[in-house]
Amino acid sequence: MEVITVLIPYILRGLDVTLKVTAVALGFGLFFGTLLAIMRVYGGKVLSNLIMLYVSTIRSLPHILLLLVIYFLIARIVDLSPFWAGSLSLSIISSAYQAEIIRGAILSVPPGQMVAARSIGMKRLQAIRYVVIPQAIRLAIPAWSNEAAIVIKDSSLVYVLGVPEILRQAQYYSGRNPTKPFNAYLAVAVIYFLLTFLTNRGLDALEKRIRIPA
Amino acid sequence: MAPKQKVIIRIEDLHKAYGGEEVLKGVSLEVMEGEVVILVGPSGTGKSTLLRCINQLTVPDAGSVWVQGIKLTDPETDIDQARQHIGMVFQSFNLFNHLTALDNVMLGLMHVLEMDKDAAQDKAMMELERVGLANKHMNYPGQLSGGQQQRVAIARSLAMEPVVMLFDEPTSALDPELIGEVLVVMKELAVGGMTMLCVTHEIGFARDVSNRIVFMEHGVIVEEGSPKKILNNPDLARTRQFLGKISDLH
Repeated sequence: MEVITVLIPYILRGLDVTLKVTAVALGFGLFFGTLLAIMRVYGGKVLSNLIMLYVSTIRSLPHILLLLVIYFLIARIVDLSPFWAGSLSLSIISSAYQAEIIRGAILSVPPGQMVAARSIGMKRLQAIRYVVIPQAIRLAIPAWSNEAAIVIKDSSLVYVLGVPEILRQAQYYSGRNPTKPFNAYLAVAVIYFLLTFLTNRGLDALEKRIRIPA
Repeated sequence: MAPKQKVIIRIEDLHKAYGGEEVLKGVSLEVMEGEVVILVGPSGTGKSTLLRCINQLTVPDAGSVWVQGIKLTDPETDIDQARQHIGMVFQSFNLFNHLTALDNVMLGLMHVLEMDKDAAQDKAMMELERVGLANKHMNYPGQLSGGQQQRVAIARSLAMEPVVMLFDEPTSALDPELIGEVLVVMKELAVGGMTMLCVTHEIGFARDVSNRIVFMEHGVIVEEGSPKKILNNPDLARTRQFLGKISDLH
């Protein structure tokens, strides 16, 4: 009984934070990831190599280390709440992975699409926007769904900055109820499972809905 | 259809190499208004490269191209602007896969010519009607046969009101029974006075509608002349040999 009346409401107070961190990280990550991917594919040698270096660096380091490094870097320059520092750090990390996903998708769009768009007089950026990206997005959804699952779970990392998301809430609860530490963590596990499962199913449905008829 | 004496395309001493291999070794050619010129020759001879060098989809290494007196090889020229008026049809159709036939034709009207949506839609429907596909306007490329896709691609080009149409082996990727419907559309265009430069092996089409056949090999123009002359009595043995081979095929 206590599980339903006390534990669940206690942990759900952190759900709001978990969802916000995830949304910010995925949203900014998608925006910057797409920009990075476009510059990597179409931006010329120098820009492309710089972005490759950025992406490789981020992909080579543990997320928790990056989170701490970025947090202490940002905190030195501007006054950011732990929530924003954590969310933006996760955005930066996710942008690197999403850049690779979108880049792969852009390269999977047949080259003739760009050629045809240019042949009717479209500018390069117009061709990217109206012809290449709409097709790339569709191709990217399965891999993006995977990245979304990772970001949902990575949102728990902001707990090291003291942001009260669900894992942190569970830890508080367990601290106060040392006889039953398992209950809180199990509840959190169920929540992560549901979030990830529903997100993946939702993206599967989206993929089917916007699939190009053939 | 007697060609008028206005130059639409002028190509002068065009050169293009890929990785040390020279594909175009100094090609010069003029196409007059209303003229239908057929480019033939063995594969790897530079025919497609020549077409792409005209609208600068491929940038030539040396030489000049003018279309309607505008020098496209001049870096100062707004090439996007110039390409609007040069229609191009590809071997592999290259319709925008994520758009319906109608949207394929509308895209350039809206974003290049900046027409409003209603006007673009009317114009696009008209062009689809012209290629006999108004009833397929809601179909995606994946729902159309190769011949239908190529006709939509022609409509997409025509919608931009080009001064010349470049055809790069428009029927080579088609099943034999679908070639006819594309050639019919191309014939109608030719009869209607469109200036056309076509890379094709359709000798029947060349005989019926072209004003001139240009035979290319190894990056140069070997021989050119009226279809009658080139098909029946070419000066060079090589031209005769090549055309004999492809005529046997058809």
